[in-house]
This record gives sequence, structure tokens and C-alpha cells, in this order.
Amino acid sequence: MRLPLWLRRRLPGYRPPPERWAHMELPYTGDDVVVVDCETSEFDKKKGQLLSLAAVVVSGRSIELSSALDLTVRSDAITHPDAVRVHYLRQEDRIYGVASADAIQQFLDFVGNRPICGFYIEYDRAILNRYTRELYGFELPNRFIEVSEIYVRQKRRYIPEVNLDLTFEGLARDLNVPVIDRHTALGDVVSTALMFIKLQRHSAS
Amino acid sequence: MSLQINLDQPPFSFLGEKELAWLKSRLDLVFFPAGEVILDVGQASPGIYILYKGVVEETGSDGQVFTQYGTEDMFDVRAVLESSCKHRFTAIEETLCYLLKAKDFIQLLNSSDDFSVYFRTDLGTQQSLVEQRGGEVSEFILAQVDSDTMRTPVYVTGQTTLVRTAGMMRDEKHDALLVRDGDRRGIVTGSDLLHAVLNDSLPKDTRVADVACFDLVTVEEGEYLFNALLKMTQHQIERVVVTRNQEIVGVLELMDMLSTFSTHSHIVAMRIEQARSLEDLIVAAGRLENLIANLSGQGVKVMAIMSLITTLNRRLIRKAFELLVPEKLNSQVCLLVLGSEGRGEQILKTDQDNAIIIRDDHVKDALMPSLQKLHQVLLDFGYPRCPGGVMFINDAWIHTAGDWRARVGKWLNNSSPEAMMNMAILMDAEPVAGNKELFDEVRSAWHQESLRSSIASSWFARPALQFETPLTLLGNIREDHGAIDIKKGGIFPLVHGVRALAFEHGLYETNTFDRIDRLSEQEVLSPDVAQGLKDSLVLFLRIRLRHQLEKAEKNPGLTQQLKVSELRSVDRSLLRHGLHRVKKFKQWLISHYHLENL
Repeated sequence: MRLPLWLRRRLPGYRPPPERWAHMELPYTGDDVVVVDCETSEFDKKKGQLLSLAAVVVSGRSIELSSALDLTVRSDAITHPDAVRVHYLRQEDRIYGVASADAIQQFLDFVGNRPICGFYIEYDRAILNRYTRELYGFELPNRFIEVSEIYVRQKRRYIPEVNLDLTFEGLARDLNVPVIDRHTALGDVVSTALMFIKLQRHSAS
Repeated sequence: MSLQINLDQPPFSFLGEKELAWLKSRLDLVFFPAGEVILDVGQASPGIYILYKGVVEETGSDGQVFTQYGTEDMFDVRAVLESSCKHRFTAIEETLCYLLKAKDFIQLLNSSDDFSVYFRTDLGTQQSLVEQRGGEVSEFILAQVDSDTMRTPVYVTGQTTLVRTAGMMRDEKHDALLVRDGDRRGIVTGSDLLHAVLNDSLPKDTRVADVACFDLVTVEEGEYLFNALLKMTQHQIERVVVTRNQEIVGVLELMDMLSTFSTHSHIVAMRIEQARSLEDLIVAAGRLENLIANLSGQGVKVMAIMSLITTLNRRLIRKAFELLVPEKLNSQVCLLVLGSEGRGEQILKTDQDNAIIIRDDHVKDALMPSLQKLHQVLLDFGYPRCPGGVMFINDAWIHTAGDWRARVGKWLNNSSPEAMMNMAILMDAEPVAGNKELFDEVRSAWHQESLRSSIASSWFARPALQFETPLTLLGNIREDHGAIDIKKGGIFPLVHGVRALAFEHGLYETNTFDRIDRLSEQEVLSPDVAQGLKDSLVLFLRIRLRHQLEKAEKNPGLTQQLKVSELRSVDRSLLRHGLHRVKKFKQWLISHYHLENL
């Protein structure tokens, strides 16, 4: 359950967004969601440096790829050897990217007040909040939707004791979603978006 | 993220690199659960859907299934160009489609000519674009007769003496000179002079007009070199005169062409002509199949291959006939080729379909031994025995002209399918050797005004409906092991329907394309329908030929099964359009001949 805006504003530590992103606070009335994925230099909420960032609007059944945000961030962070093996973004691949401040600005303009959805979204939320807080002094006020949570809720509704494979690949297999270019930000975003669309359909019926 | 479908195929391969990259950046991805209607009748389409995964079915308003779409197929271009959808598109399985928005699609059409031509034009143009791109196109074959390929004509007047003419030939280094004699234009060659002086012992001061040939074989400037080559092959000559608006502008020499001509069609033709024994002919016949594979591989149009092969096949048969049948019997007998060979639509050899007309019954005994040999030679050429027995060695297919007429009369008074098929087979006959007047006599038996409006016309048309159009099979491989019979499903109904109309309207043409043209001239078929039918037939023949050549079986010409899944996706979609046209044509035949209750 999400607290209403007037109450959230009164919580200690709540910092409203500056003028440019003031609209992000407003309640969202449409049906779109923005699916987001970040790749970082290491898997650590506090230290992981943003390397790439992708976001796409899902409107009903349609994934609006043509307007998708797909950014590589210019960063000199030393990539953790384990992480490189996951996302294949070497330091050399990142020289042509945009500055992280630029990436965050574009991202904030892109999402607006739409709900943000992802697979293990808590991690992406932490990373994005950390950058936004450091740069502009606020945290994302958007609603967040966790794909695996919808999945678990639906599965447990019918078989409460079921053993679930909650890995990305496990969900993709069970929901019959193609895994496209795994561990590129945009590829993961598209697969996640498909999972979300399919889960929406089940919960509606 | 990389694109999950292959856009390196028509029509997308017509786009430039920049446009293709732009297109890829403009695609959205859309999901449809099984059973969902993607586009409905009357709805405007948001754009072009390109299937990534799943199956989509196209149905009419009455629920009739038109076709199914699979991976990399796209729909519905018409809905985008015409602003509303005529059919319903339903996802049969869970389906993922890339969506190119209508406005982006229109922008692509405006930015690329080839791309827009593909979509905005009819099937025929689409196909020729595909054909052009397919494989390596021999430049020569698509080259046209122009000032680069022909020689400037050198004229002599008709009064010039043979000696002077020979001198000019040497000075001008031309082996052929044009002769101006009053209003007439003729040609004289080195060998003409040779024959005149040495064989006919004419004096050296004879006027050149007396030995020149005034019956000029011409091609129009701008025609394909290939056509010029066909004419030389047909007339057995080595040069043709080039005209522009009926004015002579040049001479095209075989030697000039041969020096650049890489396929061996003319060499095969020369072998046939120069053959002195049956063995020579059999060797020449064996090269035909190679020639077809070569031409097809070089991207030569299927129509051009067809007319070249028809010419060569007929000369092959005629030559064999001439070698075997005693000359004194020549005027007493006429050899007919039937079926696809008669229509001139055979490319790879199918089975022997032939018949004989004789003048009198007593000729038959004298003739039979040579005919038996001829039959054997045809087998050696690679024409398999006809399973239906439509061969002159069977008594049913060798008669006197009078008996043939009687049989035709009997067939036309009998509605049985066998009688109608016999009539259909005979109707496509083309005399290839012997006395052609005998055939004219027989043909007049069915070219009768009284027959046209009779019930015979509609009996005759009926077999066109006997096979189901395999439209619902497409994209869905559950029946016939994923294959369709292209002859039963597409070629036969089209060819027979046109044949029935040709019968009704008393046409003399045997070739289906010529028949369609004539029917269109007589306003039996509208120009659109006529063009559509021709395009469809070319398409069927092209796809079948490609398939047969790839199979490389013994007697590939007998294969009619097309594996739908082995077709390129663009061919699949063209095939779908073609079959759709056949289906419409069949419906038209039903109402034209009142076959509703049959």
C-alpha cells in the first residue's frame, strides 16, 4: 500500500523534487508503465557505478521500442571482473557514452510520474535514487512495480506451497518469454516488459 | 538490443543502409494473447506488423480463412495504404509482432523508390523486383539492343555487280551488306555471293539485287538481346536487322553477341541443327537441362527461358521426326505435341504427350515402324512415358483427320470428365512436324460458332474446379506434410479456366499467356484480372522451376510438391497472393459458366 502524497510529504526526510521535475510527484492517472534496467560496475547498492541504463514505455500490449531510452554511461569506474562477465561492458566500451548526470537527467525527463517496473527493481531503485539524491537532492517519488512479486502472488494464489524458480531465466521460461540479448540493459528491459504484459493479462482474467 | 528478425530479405533489402538503420530504430514490439483480434474489418491499421513469434490468421467477414502468417511475414500493407482493413487478423497462438508505424512506413516509401515500387504495384512488378535481385544476373541477357551492340549498316544499291559487292565487303570488313533496290531493302552476305557464283554459276556482273534476300528479319531497337538471339535461333540465321520506328538503323551480328554470351543456348541450338544422327540429337537433348539450370541461376526471367526452351524442344522433335520418317510420307502425316509442350509452357521435361494425324488409314502401316522408333528416341531424349497413354503409339492417339473430327464431335456430346480431359489435351495441340494442313482440318471441328454458347462450354470448364485451392494450408504445416501441390492448387485451375474461355471464344492461340492477352483484348477478362492471372502463372512457374532444380531428382519436371517452409518468406507471401487470385478466378468461372450446382 502506497501512502498518499500529502502524507508522504509530511514524512521526515522527504525532499520534494526541484521545479524541473515537480510533476513527478503528481499522482499518475494513465495506464502506461516504464520498464527500467541498469547495469552497474559491481553488484553493490552503495558502490556500484552506473554503466548503462535502459527504459521503455509499455502501453497496453505494446512495447514502444522506437522511443526507448538506451544509454551507455561514460565512466572510468574499474569494472569488477565478475560484473564484466555479466554485462560485457568493458571500460573501453564506455568511452563513447554520456556523462552520468546527463543520463539521469534524460531518464527523469523520460519517466515523468509514470510507475516504474522492473525485475529485482529494488536494486535499480537504490542505484537511481543514489544518483538522483547526489545530483538533485531528491528521490524518485514514482510508484515501483516488481515483476517477480506479481508473478509470485499469482502462482501462490493457486498453489500456495509451490516451489518457484525466481531467477530471470526461470520466469522467462515459465511465462514463455524470449530472452533477448540477456544482460544488455535494453534486452533485459524488453524481456521484463513482456513478462509484465503477460502477467497483467493473467491478473485481469 | 539487436533485432530478432532478419530484415535482409525483400522488400527490406531494397532499402539503403541508412534507411534500414532508421527503420530498425522505428520498430515497436507488440504482444497479442492467443485468440485476440489484432485488426478488424473496417479498422485503421496503426502500421505494418512484422511477425517475430506466433501465428496470425487472416479471415474474411464470413469467417472464411484466407491465409496464415508466420515468422517474418508481414501484414497488412493494404490496410495502411488504403486507410482501412478489409479482413480480420487474429492471433492463433501467443504472438509477438514488430510494429512499424504507418507514418514511418509512408516516410520509407517516400524515401526509397525500389521499396515503394514493391508495395504500390501489383504482383508482377513485385515479382520482377525479386527476380532481378535473386542471384547473379548475367549482364548480357538483360542488355538491350542499342548502338553499342549493333553495327552501322553499309548499303549498296541493287544495281551493284557481285564483284563490286565482294570488294566492298572486303574493304568495309563486313560480311553482310544491306541492299537498296528501289523501295525494297534487303541483305546480302558473303555466303550468298559464294553460292551465287560457285553453286548457281551466275556471272560475276549479275546485279546484287538478284541474289539478295529481301525478307528481312528485324528486331526493334531497345529489345532485349535475348530476343534477338531467339529470332536468330528460330530463323537459323546469323544476323538480324535493327529498326527504329520501322527505319533500319543497324545490323546485329551473332558473332558479336557470341563473344560476350556466356550461356550456351545457341551452341545447343546449333548442335540440334547440325545433328546428322539420332545419337547427336540425344547428346544435344541431354544439354538442355543444364542450360535451364544455368539460365535460371543467372537470373534470366522464367518467360524468356520458357520461350527459348520451347523453341529448342520443338526443333529437337522436328529434327528427330525428319531423321526417322521417310520423306515421301511427310505430306501424309502431322505430328502434334500436346499439353504443356503444346502450350509452350514446358521448361523441364514432363511426360510425353503427343498425337499423330494421318491422311489415310493405309499410311499407318507404312508409318508405324518409324513411329515406334520415334517414340523410343523421345524416351532417350528424357521425355518419360505418359502414364495416361496420351502418345501416338497408342491407337487412341493416331487417326485420320476425318476420324479425329468424329472423335471431337463425340467428346463434345458427352459430358464425362474423360471426354472433357481428352478435348482439353487436344485443344492445346501444336503441330511440330509433317503436314500442318492436316491439323487445320481437325481443329475446325471445335472452332464452331454453334459450340460456343452450348452446354459443352460449361462441361468443358468444370474440371477447373476439381481441386481445392490450398490456401488454408499456408503457414500451417499440419496437412500434406507441409507441402502443397502447385499444379493442382494453382497452375491447373488457372490454365484450364483460361483454356475453357479460349474454347468458348474460339481462340487459335495455345499458349496460356497469349490466350489471356486475347481474352483481354476481346474484353472477356478485365485488364486487371488478365494481368493478375499472368503474374500468378509466371510466379507459380518460377517457384516450381526453382524448387525442381534444387531437388535435382531424376525427372525433376514431374515434381509438383512445393515445401512451403522451404520457400523464402517473400515467395511465400507472393504465392499466397497468387493462390488468392486463382481462387477469385475460380469463383468468377463458377458464375460465368453457372457451375454453382455441380
